[in-house]
Amino acid sequence: MDLFHNLIYGFSVALHWQNLWYCFVGCFLGTMIGVLPGIGPVATIAMLLPITFNLPPTPALIMLAGIYYGASYGGSTTAILVNLPGESSSVVTCIDGYQMGRQGRAGPALAIAAIGSFFAGCVGTVLIALFGPPLAELAFEFGAAEYFSMMVLGLISAVVLASGSLIKAIGMILIGLLLGIVGTDVNSGIARYSFGISELSDGIGFVSVAMGMFGFGEIISNLEQAAIDRTVNVSVVKSLMPTGNDIKMSIGPILRGTAIGVVFGILPGAHTVIASFSSYTLEKKLAKDPKRFGKGAIEGVAGPESANNAAAQTAFIPLLTLGIPTGAVMALMVGAMTIQGIAPGPQVMTQKPDLFWGMIASMWIGNLMLVILNLPLVGMWVKFLKIPYRLMFPGICLFIAVGAYSINNSSFDVYLAALFGFFGYYTSKWGCEPAPLILGFVLGPLMEENLRRAMLISRGDPSVFFTRPISLGMLLVAFALLLMVVAPQIRKKRAEVITESGD
Amino acid sequence: MAFHNRDKKDFNAGILYIIMGAFFALWARNYPMGSAVRMGPAYFPTVLGWLLAALGLIIFVRSFFEHGGEEPRKTNWRPLTLLLAAVVIFGLLLETGGMVLASFALMYISSLGGHDFKWKEQLVNAVFMTAVNVGLFYYALALPFKLFPWS
Repeated sequence: MDLFHNLIYGFSVALHWQNLWYCFVGCFLGTMIGVLPGIGPVATIAMLLPITFNLPPTPALIMLAGIYYGASYGGSTTAILVNLPGESSSVVTCIDGYQMGRQGRAGPALAIAAIGSFFAGCVGTVLIALFGPPLAELAFEFGAAEYFSMMVLGLISAVVLASGSLIKAIGMILIGLLLGIVGTDVNSGIARYSFGISELSDGIGFVSVAMGMFGFGEIISNLEQAAIDRTVNVSVVKSLMPTGNDIKMSIGPILRGTAIGVVFGILPGAHTVIASFSSYTLEKKLAKDPKRFGKGAIEGVAGPESANNAAAQTAFIPLLTLGIPTGAVMALMVGAMTIQGIAPGPQVMTQKPDLFWGMIASMWIGNLMLVILNLPLVGMWVKFLKIPYRLMFPGICLFIAVGAYSINNSSFDVYLAALFGFFGYYTSKWGCEPAPLILGFVLGPLMEENLRRAMLISRGDPSVFFTRPISLGMLLVAFALLLMVVAPQIRKKRAEVITESGD
Repeated sequence: MAFHNRDKKDFNAGILYIIMGAFFALWARNYPMGSAVRMGPAYFPTVLGWLLAALGLIIFVRSFFEHGGEEPRKTNWRPLTLLLAAVVIFGLLLETGGMVLASFALMYISSLGGHDFKWKEQLVNAVFMTAVNVGLFYYALALPFKLFPWS
């Protein structure tokens, strides 16, 4: 069976010592960062991106992927032990996970979270392997018009499912698109918006934008607020073994959570957060005694944890098959691939099968590593959590600055990162999300190119986007999504979900 | 509708979008527009720029009609200026004074922006992280940069 051969090939790539090592490094760093509140996977990936420049593409992407799901594992650890979400999708885990901790059952909570996540990871990996090739086949049918419409759909769905004002988020996308245009225009050779600065004629470094807005911007915002003392409520971890009853009650939630996560991961938007929330809501509705929720119900940990890990895995599907990023993290991956000289898209699978299948196999290995890492190392993570923020953040700033410098060995990129830090700080104060900007920034030049090409081929006829069926379909979905958000009932429901998440 | 009751977040965001959108669209006049069939370099940014400015206008006007919006959190100038200054100084020092000095400067200056600043502990922190930085990036990852002013 083709699937079998491909997976074997993938494992042979993933088990090379170099790839294994970087998988481990990624998972370790990801967990470490996931454990710390205040730095999310996006900022971490942005920070560590420059390290990957010297690496060949396969280990680089393996490491970055490891960081991503390492962060979701790490986030659950903090959520259960300290009642602080290490990253956004762990918010739900805090609810029942921490209560279990207060009841002396932090160990089983952590164990079930890890097992559920591992199961979800396995399923996710198999799904990518199964659906990757057919999806990529489909993508080969895509012409410039389809690509353009797909990017429009991707951008719209990403903001529809995100929190905050829709219209401001669209504005951020536009700013991102415009900033992405800065640089030399491929078609005409004219340097746009470079104002005579030679560094700008190559475009704005995407790492500077990402690190500036997500890194510096977030740190400054964190510092504005009162210092949080994280050490107060750390639950003690006694034994890690879940009881037989725990396991029995978790099977259903894990299966259902995985299913939910798989679906949400593929859709653009804040996949992991929505997946974990939906799972929690579902489990609460299905439970025989819903009042147990909020007081330490293990289903409230098993379901959401599986959901968020499944979503994290399947989020790679649109990226690896169609080449379209569905969120900020994936946008960073696109950036990483581009810098490595790989054009993301369906051809990655055929032209670089070692990269494609190697990544898939290493996702499974990464999940395994995370289960092994997190359970015994819990004690270490707890100690790490106790380092005060005031000692941590200068080091983080330093890493960001060095990272920015190392792109081109130029201080200009450092200044740009500072500028975007300033910009990001104010825009988020005013309710403008940074993630849509990054998405727009990465997609900007691609969208323009496809638009141009589509118009050229159709000889200036804009209806081509509506006459070609796939393109029309995607634009209709995008429009429907926009309508959905604007419709009053959905507006209220969306606001409910957002306030509950406390974003 | 009153100036004082305006939703400040929307007001500010709207103005930002108008200014940025108009800037990109107007500056694009320096480049050839081309036609719909063969889009020149100015085409895409002009369209996007005006679209952005239009959105900004909507948000701006809307801000006068929305009351009870949350005030944007007041700017705390200390972390903002110290952190960004530290980064800029880092960039300036890097090519003249070398990585060791630049790292140390960034660590120490940025730490001034945090809570409970204690100079002795931040001094140690700065030395420690500079060492980690050099060890990781220069030695372990072999990234090229100047370490000392005399390198």
